Order: sequence, then C-alpha cells, then structure tokens
Amino acid sequence: MIRILSRKFLEVLFFMLFITFVSFLFVRLAPGDPVLTILNVDELSVSQEQVEALKEEMGFNKPLLIQYGHWLLNFIQLDFGESYVTGQPVMDMILMGLPATIELAAGSLIVMLAVSIPLGSLSALYRNSWIDQVSRILSILGAAIPSFWLGLIFIDLFGVRFNWLPTMGRDGFVSLILPSLTLGLAISSVYVRLLRSSLLDSLSQEFIRAARARGLSEPRIFLSHAFRHSLPPVITVFGVSLGSLIGGVVVIEVLFAYPGIGKLVVDSIRQRDYPLIQGYILIMAIIVFIVNTCVDLSYRYLDPEMKLKERGTN
Amino acid sequence: MNLINSSLRINSFHKYIRIQFSILFACVFLLSGCMGSEGTAGDNSKEKHISFLYNFSTNSLDPHVDSSYIPLRAGITETLVRLDEENLTIAPWLAESWEGEDGKHWTIKLREDVTFQNGKKMDALAVKASLERALQESVAIQNALKIDKIEADGYTLHISTKEPFPEFVSELVNPNVSIIDVTEEDIVNKPVGTGPFILKSFTPGSKLELERYDNYWDGASKLDSVTFAFNEDANARSLALTSGQVDIVYRPEVESLESLQAQGGIEVESTATFRVHQMTMNMERESMQDINVRRAVDALINRQEIVDTILLGYAEPAVGPFLPSLPFAPSYEKRETGSDQAVKYLEEAGYTLKNGIMQKDGEPLTFTLLTYSARADLPLIAQVFQSDAKQIGIEVDIRQIDTPEEYMASNRDWDLATYSNLTAPRGDAGYYLNATYHPTGALNFSGAHEPELTEIIDKLNQTVDQDERAALSEQAADFVYDHVINSFVLHPSTIVAYNDNKVKNWVTTRSEYYMITNELDVK
Repeated sequence: MIRILSRKFLEVLFFMLFITFVSFLFVRLAPGDPVLTILNVDELSVSQEQVEALKEEMGFNKPLLIQYGHWLLNFIQLDFGESYVTGQPVMDMILMGLPATIELAAGSLIVMLAVSIPLGSLSALYRNSWIDQVSRILSILGAAIPSFWLGLIFIDLFGVRFNWLPTMGRDGFVSLILPSLTLGLAISSVYVRLLRSSLLDSLSQEFIRAARARGLSEPRIFLSHAFRHSLPPVITVFGVSLGSLIGGVVVIEVLFAYPGIGKLVVDSIRQRDYPLIQGYILIMAIIVFIVNTCVDLSYRYLDPEMKLKERGTN
Repeated sequence: MNLINSSLRINSFHKYIRIQFSILFACVFLLSGCMGSEGTAGDNSKEKHISFLYNFSTNSLDPHVDSSYIPLRAGITETLVRLDEENLTIAPWLAESWEGEDGKHWTIKLREDVTFQNGKKMDALAVKASLERALQESVAIQNALKIDKIEADGYTLHISTKEPFPEFVSELVNPNVSIIDVTEEDIVNKPVGTGPFILKSFTPGSKLELERYDNYWDGASKLDSVTFAFNEDANARSLALTSGQVDIVYRPEVESLESLQAQGGIEVESTATFRVHQMTMNMERESMQDINVRRAVDALINRQEIVDTILLGYAEPAVGPFLPSLPFAPSYEKRETGSDQAVKYLEEAGYTLKNGIMQKDGEPLTFTLLTYSARADLPLIAQVFQSDAKQIGIEVDIRQIDTPEEYMASNRDWDLATYSNLTAPRGDAGYYLNATYHPTGALNFSGAHEPELTEIIDKLNQTVDQDERAALSEQAADFVYDHVINSFVLHPSTIVAYNDNKVKNWVTTRSEYYMITNELDVK
C-alpha cells in the first residue's frame, strides 16, 4: 500500500507541474488580458498609453517562460497570488466558493445514486419488461434535456406552482434540493444504462450460476456477487467524468444563484483573471486526482480477481 | 427440481424488491407532503422588509474595487456628489458644495451632520483617508481622478489634481469613490459607509442582508430590513418574482414581461439608459474612408425595426451617442434612411448595383462585421444589418469575437463592429469623447484622427464652466454625427418589475447607480 501511495505521490507531482504549465500556456496564449478590466474601460476614460504602462508594470510583456517561472516560484511558497479584479487572495476566493460546489456535487451524486441504482437494477432484473422500457425512455430524455431547461421546469413546478422549495440561494438543506435534483437527474441517465448492462453481464457469469448451485439466497447473490461485480466499470466512468460533473455545476450555479466556484471561474476566464484561473485549475486537478486514486484503490476491494492477481505477482 | 427451486427463489426475490420499492415511494410522497406543509416563501413577521433581486453577483463588497457597485446600489455607501436623475446634472450628496475655478485646485465643503454606520463622524480627515484608500486600491480610480494632493481641514477638503481636470467633480459620482470608514477591519466583507442601510451579513455570490441605519443623515429609511440577492439568470429572476420569493427584480427576462404583467399586481417599469449600441466604423479601411459609404451604412440600419423586434420595444432608437434628455445632446436634423437612400449614397461614392452585386471598378462591396455575445442584442443587430445589406447587393461577413476591446485594438482586418458604450455614465461627456474619439483614447477603435474633433475635445478637457462644457460636448457630438464616424443604433432600457401590491416609492434610475434608498417603502 505504501509503495502504491508513494508512486502515486510522485505521479501527482509530475502531473501538477505538467498541468500548471500547459494551463498557463493556454490561458496566456488566448487573446486578451485583464488590463482593460482592471482599468474599467467600459466606464472610465483611459488612454492607450495608460493601457501599455499597466501591461508593462504587470509583466504581461515579458516572455511566457519568465512569467511562468515567476508564478511557479510563488506557488512553491504556497502563494497563489491575488485576483487582478478584486485584489483578494486567490486561495481565499476559491476556498470561499468550494464548499458550496462540493455540497452541490455531493447532493447531485446522492440523487444520481438514488435514481440510477434502483432503476438500473430493476431494468436488469426485469429485462425487457415495462420498467426497463420506462427506464430506457427516461434515460434518453435525461440525456437529451439540457440541465438548465430541466432546472427551469423544476423552479416553475416546485418554486412557483407548488411553492414547496426556494428557487435560489444557499440557505441550508432545502435550497440544495432543486439544484441537486436537476444536476443529479441530468447525470443519472448515463449511469442507469451503464449499471443495467454491467449487471446483465454479471448475472450471466459462471460464478452466479455457481452461487445458485451452492444454495445462496437470491438477495445475497444479487448484492454480494452480481451487483459488486458490476460496479468497477460504473466507477471507472464516474472517475473519468468527475471533471465534467464539476464543470457542469456552472450552469446550475448560475440558474439557482448557488455561490460556488463554477461561476467564479467562468467570470475569471471572461476577465482573464490569470491567478484565479491558475488556482482553480490546480485545485480541480488535485480533486480529480484524489478521486481517481480512490477509484483505482476501490478496484482492489470490488474486484476479487484483481486482488488475486496482485497476490499472484507478489 | 433444482431448476424449480431456483425459479421459486428468484420469484420471491422479485417480490421482495417490489415491497422495498413500494415502501421507498411511500416515504418520498410523505416527505414531499411534509415539505408542502412547511412552505418556503411565507414571511410571517410583521417587519417592513423588501427582497430585491439583482442581475449581477459579487464576491467582494470592497466599495473601492467592486465593479458591480453593490455597496452603493444596496444603500450601504454614498459618494460626495451624485447624479440628479431628473435634470441629469451633478448634485450635492455627502459634499454640500464645491468650487475649483482653475480646474486644478478644488475646495469641497462636506456636510457636517453625517455619521458612519458605526457612529463615527464623517469629517474631512475620514473622507481623505477613504479617497486615499480608493487611489491606493484601484489603478482605474488613480487614472480617473488624477489626484495629486488632498488636504483635510475640519469639514473642508482641498484637492489638487495633477493637471487641469474640469470633470473632476463629475468623476466623484463614480461608486468606486464611495466614502467609507477605512479604520474598519473587514472592508471586503463588511464595509461601513454613510448610507441608509447597515450591512448585517454577506454571503459572497449570493446575497446581502441589510438593516435600517437609524441615524441616517437624510432621514432613516421607512423599511426595517432589505435582502439584496443576486441571480444572473433572467428566467430564474422572473420566476422568483412570480413565486413571490422576491419583491423587486432588476432586468427580468424581456420575453416574460407580457406574462408578468398579465398576472396582475406586478408593475413593469423601463427607462432608457446612458448606454448606446453603436456600429463602430473602422476608418482605416479603404471603403470606409469614403463618407458616402459610411452614410450608406448608417442609412441601412433600421433602428425602429431593431428596437421593436430585438428589444421588443424596450429601447429608444438612437441618433447620436447621447441620450436626448442629457443637457449636451444636440437636436439633430432628420436624415433620410432606408435601402433606397443607402443606394443613393453608394452611387455618390462611385458604386453601382450590377447583377445584384454592389460594386466599384468590378470589385464587389463587402464588409466584415465584428460582433460578440456578451451583450445578447448585438449579434442579432448584426444579423438584421447583414440581411438588409444583402437586399442591395452588399455581402456582410459576420465574425464572432470574444473580447471586442482587445480584438479591435490589435486587429484592423474588419470594417464594422457592433459595440456598446456608456456615453455619459456620470453626467459628463468627457469620458466617452476622450476614450472613443481622441487619438490617444483606449476605445478609439474607429481610428478617428480628426484634428478638428481632437481640438474640440482638448478644449473640453480645459473647460470648467458647465455651460461651456455642454456647448463643446454638443459640438463634438455634432461633428461625429456629420462625419458619420460611428453610427448609433439604440439606447437600451433598464427594466424593473416589482410587486405593485407591496412595493412603494421604487424609482428606476437612468444611471443605474441608486437602487435601495431611504425612500423605498412597503404599502
């Protein structure tokens, strides 16, 4: 285990360095810089001379490698810099919005699990029955309906017509329901079908027949053998798509005025607020890396075959 | 036998699953029933409270940095002078009077009855400290105010600018020059100003909870508290008003206005702003150097159609850059427009319409038109223009760009651009004329280098007298119009919808600076 973790640690270092360099290049090579935003040209009279002077002062005219080196030097000292637009420390801004985003992502995952596990299982157990057909239609609808539209329908239904739930803001658990439901349903469509096909595959395996021959009860066969065996492919897809889940949070955050980091980063990209973009990419890379590592480690417990193989090589 | 047993076991397992799910669904229904009985929108307290929903969010309330101006808009802070919304002139606010005859040395007399929301007196020393912080925190404010030295004496400020700067006082209208108590510790999250409302709590990116400041110098608010929330989605804002969760919504979705009005009890107000959507002309392009081509472009813009179809009537067709109600807006002679008039101008420029193609010396007339999506109306205006130009044989290639200012400044491979400008945000034309038509201006995308116009602007920059300034601004606007340096399409309106059964004394301002005031009340 220690060997695996230390190898992962070295990987993470290389990965971080690589991702910060590539993202730095992409962000800086994109047209535009934050100077016009800083000078508030939309409302204040500014001369071209002042624009050039500020560019020079902020070091935007220096070669990219020098700019990156400067950023990296500060980063090593755990200084992520300050936002060009608000002047606040980047880490403070990210940490302020991160809990809301994590909360929203977690809420969506719970909805996703609550929908996809029963629906996927029932579709597999009652293959080609009406429940399978309904689940198929729901999955197609879920994949086809844009999440912002679904969100608006929910707001209209639960916020306006029934007046059950708040339509925006972050005031405790109740305000988390609608955004989580919207995002959770939008992502669950993939997992329902994935779990169904993975379960069908498991149920047709030899070891299921062997378990039945051994006289194990059906619930035990289903939960301890078939379901467990069907999880690795689902978890793999989840690990890979976590990044896009966090990206997808942006639309929901805007719609429900949920103050997370998704909206923050969209604004920072528009305003070319480089330190904030870099900080966000780094934090997201760390989160995605941690989740993927957990996914890798989970295989050892979910897939007995893998554990046996590892023992064999040792 | 084994097969039968196995089949029986599978059937009983399926029965077990059915029972489990029946219980689960029953729980969900019970839970939803509980939520319904709880309710969410009801506010049973008897305090006078208003919920306001704004269309931009902010993560920082630092009044000197926050470009969404929330502290001023929410009634926490105030500036030394303000814009008189009726006459569109500068009016006293925290400052009682001012003078600065040479445009360089200014004496500002402050009100003596103003206190910060923490009880401290607002004297010249406190204002000096606040101004100095604004200069230190914002390079934009440094550029805008050009302050060299500030001296405080009791309730009088003596300010010298680095150069003669006649629009100095109008620049003090800027919400980023709000006066705050700089000795407070957490200015980013809890600024203390002089306005009618004290900030009780701030959830970054979400909302502010405000409470009445009882010792407000201009008469305490009639409201006990205000919630100032943010939601950047126009649809969601409209729905929040319909659901009764908020009382006032800033910029609801235009398409939803009809249904909001039909609902009853909801009032929709709109007023034209100081913004102008314009067609910027790149005068460095060969075809655009001919004034008749520029006149043809101007004639082709069907302003009324654009206002009616794209803005659904919530805009005023524009003739010049300034809103007609501004004191320095010229009264223009009506110009002929339409495709026939455009063809006439083009014929004067030497073009002819052959085989459905407008051409000169065998070369077809084509335009590259830039647009950007940050303002949703602009790409649609570009499309209407493209379609109208096609009618007279002009091919228009629409190019979508991301950051217009950056692109237009560094690339000159375009002929026209839909762009949106604030033309007199603080009741003075100096900002717009300098930025857009002076050869050194950062927004001079048309590349205007007209010595006569530059001379007028330079003269404006030295003139203190307000009447003279108005005359010079008018002269500059006339020059721009006569020489068709840019073409002006419309002044978009600000739209506000509110619960008419509850909200009293709401005023939709043209400057969009003043929103939560001490006059706002409930019925």
